[in-house]
Amino acid sequence: MSSLRFTRAALRVRPTAFCRPLQRRGYADVAADKIKLTLTLPHQSIYKSQDVVQVNLPADSGEMGVLANHVPSIEQLKPGLVEIIEESGGNKQFFLSGGFAVVQPGSHLSINAVEGFPLEDFSSEAVRNQIAEAQKIASGSGSEQDIAEAKIELEVLESLQAALK
Amino acid sequence: MAFAWKAAGLTYNRYLAVASRVVRRSLKEEKRIAAERRGEMDLRFAKWQNGKQGEVKQLSTANEAAMAEHASGSSS
Repeated sequence: MSSLRFTRAALRVRPTAFCRPLQRRGYADVAADKIKLTLTLPHQSIYKSQDVVQVNLPADSGEMGVLANHVPSIEQLKPGLVEIIEESGGNKQFFLSGGFAVVQPGSHLSINAVEGFPLEDFSSEAVRNQIAEAQKIASGSGSEQDIAEAKIELEVLESLQAALK
Repeated sequence: MAFAWKAAGLTYNRYLAVASRVVRRSLKEEKRIAAERRGEMDLRFAKWQNGKQGEVKQLSTANEAAMAEHASGSSS
């Protein structure tokens, strides 16, 4: 008798479940509107599978915001600012030197970078001095590789300077 | 050409190393000293052939030579 009641209950539940978009996750369940963020550097992990609301990434293909249930994707990151909106509504910003972000199924996001620091750790004076130096090398008569490296430095420094303002 | 540095023969690995080096240098004094230690690299290698050790080379200079060789500007 009780099993019959159970099947009837299941029948009643089903149609509504079918109407909703596919939101069921098979494994490692996360709260519905949260992303599990892992932000790691070779020497430190800043976030370790922590629930956050949104992450804004400086992807090579353009700035992107990642919310829960994002389409799985792999994005190469430009050197730039990653913005993390935490559960409490707080907002954290880290400047990453470039790396990769992997959005995995089930609202998991892993970001790997070589260096990453909060903005307050940077000195705008050091940035300004280095821009002048890199510009000198970029327009100088060094080897092709030296000029290319100076241009990479300029790209990073300009992004950093814009973030510090 | 998606990336200008690729034309100069630089690898993605080198690109990341340059980008992170400049990020480390932009830090405030106390943090910078601790961070810059991570950027140091000193590696030498030698190629063994017919049971004999070849010339010992610095990896960084060998890398620079390889990058110059792969620059599209000089090869084409």
